[in-house]
Amino acid sequence: MNKNSVSWACCVVFLVSSIVTAPPLAGETTDPEVVALLERVDDLFRGDSSEGRMTMRVKTKRWEREMVMNVWSQGTERSLVRIESPPKEKGVATLRVENSIWNYLPKVDRTIKIPASMMGASWMGSHLTNDDLVQSSRYTDDYSCELGEDVPASDDDGPRWLITCAPDEDAPVIWGQVEIEISKSDTLPRTTRFFDDDGELVRTMSYLDVKSLGSRRLPTRVLMVPADEPNEFTEMIYDDLKLDVELSERLFTLQSLKR
Amino acid sequence: MKTQTLLGTVRVAWRNLWRNGRRSLVTIAAMTLALLAMVIYASLMRGLLGDMERKLLEVEVGDVQIHAPGYLDEPTLYDDLGESERLVGDLADLGFPATARFLGGGLAAAGDASAGVQIVGLDPEADRVASGLAGELAEGEWLSASEPSGVVIGSRLARTFGVEVGSELVILGQSVDGGIANDLYVVAGVLGSFSEAVDRSGVFVVEEAFRSFFGYEGGAHRIIVRRAPGGSTEDALAAALGLAPDEDVQSWRQLQPTAASMLDAAVAGLQVMMTIVYVAIAILILNAMLMAVFERIKELGLLKALGMSPRHVLSLILLEAGLQTGIAIVAGLTLAAPALWYLSEHGLQMAGLSGLTLMGMSFDSRWYSQVDAFSIGAPVSMLVIIVSLAVLYPGLKAARLRPIDAMRHQ
Repeated sequence: MNKNSVSWACCVVFLVSSIVTAPPLAGETTDPEVVALLERVDDLFRGDSSEGRMTMRVKTKRWEREMVMNVWSQGTERSLVRIESPPKEKGVATLRVENSIWNYLPKVDRTIKIPASMMGASWMGSHLTNDDLVQSSRYTDDYSCELGEDVPASDDDGPRWLITCAPDEDAPVIWGQVEIEISKSDTLPRTTRFFDDDGELVRTMSYLDVKSLGSRRLPTRVLMVPADEPNEFTEMIYDDLKLDVELSERLFTLQSLKR
Repeated sequence: MKTQTLLGTVRVAWRNLWRNGRRSLVTIAAMTLALLAMVIYASLMRGLLGDMERKLLEVEVGDVQIHAPGYLDEPTLYDDLGESERLVGDLADLGFPATARFLGGGLAAAGDASAGVQIVGLDPEADRVASGLAGELAEGEWLSASEPSGVVIGSRLARTFGVEVGSELVILGQSVDGGIANDLYVVAGVLGSFSEAVDRSGVFVVEEAFRSFFGYEGGAHRIIVRRAPGGSTEDALAAALGLAPDEDVQSWRQLQPTAASMLDAAVAGLQVMMTIVYVAIAILILNAMLMAVFERIKELGLLKALGMSPRHVLSLILLEAGLQTGIAIVAGLTLAAPALWYLSEHGLQMAGLSGLTLMGMSFDSRWYSQVDAFSIGAPVSMLVIIVSLAVLYPGLKAARLRPIDAMRHQ
């Protein structure tokens, strides 16, 4: 498990599970304005279920690759990802049910459960880890947040709110601090910065290309850059996303993983 | 001293020994027991340490390892040794057996069980030259170039997976271009237990299988170098440094500092133990011989008055101690022989130690003793040295007696 992939451990909170993860507001965030902002951010991706298609681009110093995948999720605990391209990896699928992850490998027609010791390893070669897929920590539940000084308008974007969140004592998160910048114009998040316990920046996530997707306006491209490897990134582009769709329970089973 | 006189002295010494037979017997018995215990203890420790060192050097680490600079800090497929084949050849030309290993990480699974593993690619035939791995199989067969889907796995891994020879194993990893590498293999062999790292996560495949799994075309990641027959680790280290000045060359002591210091500490512990036991014996001898001298102080004075030289008196006392030591050595080794034979042949059943690892080294379930020059020679020579030292004081005291004082002694 390399430091890099660990450093990404949480991204998918916002990528896969956050699509459906919108916990009720709790924690110790007391400022109603902040609560409202975070609620709006959370509600943005909220849905009881989702069905989508995304392109994941990964660039490391050794290679660069692109994968197209279909993504389904139901509730906060179930999701399924199936790779469509490149052809060599078509059909490779990942099923997550609660804290367990299985990978299906069509080439050998076998399903592998990821052991606890490998949860920190890279998922499908990206900067995401398997842990990211099962992370269910939430800003609103596990952090105490407060509004900071506004970020002034820049050339290409208007002014933003800055919300600084510190994890609660017993929260199951690895971050020391998270900073979220939310645009004042559309109340959508623009940037999230993750810091470790020593206050060192670990990674930066940018929410780009706001478009109407399905019934909502969403940032359709999420870019993650590890602080220690600024030339590497993992980028997820939502090509399609439907929220609150009817999905069969059977979709999230090992049988369906093989399809 | 003439032979005649020496023989005479021996005879006198022998007779003196039995003037207080009980004391002599107790002294001899103490020395015998101490020697017996130390010979067996030393042989067992030699067996244990020898086994550990053999496993560590012959099977796992080798004397010297060569890696690309930085590889050990952050192992990746991409930090390889480039022309590893040429380096192995050059080392072999200099008389140092060497073998190349290709290393990669992955996830192996069998049935419902899965675990992170280290995938090691090697040439099954060439590897035998520098590694005893092929001889450590507990079950099944060694890898064969004609069976690229065969894998040999560590003992704990086999237990975790519940697999045996012939079972299938799926391995998942990341290929050189970032793609998903996965393949199906068949367990050809299961290794015996020898090191935590290999036991828990070692998966050995033939080089071709490694290359096709990872889509890998580079050189090896590790070269294991052995000492030349009869040579030392230092020679191998110097040769490797000479041939690969730009690579990271380290001896097994640098690579496994805890194991090396543990082996050193065990040897030191053995010596301390031996010293303590023998110091106790020395005090016993000192006491017995002092008693023997004081008991006969008038007699010794008389002998000196009759013209016996101090040197003669000293040799008499030394001989008395020497005879007791000699008897103890013969008796001790005679008694030790069957025990040592049994322990070397059958070993001690150490069910509790089975699979236990300490500092990354695994223990066998049987503990065999190793009888060699050290395990016999060290306890015997230490006994002789310590007895000589202990007897020197009473001996010199007797030799320096003034006849007039001695004869007046009450």
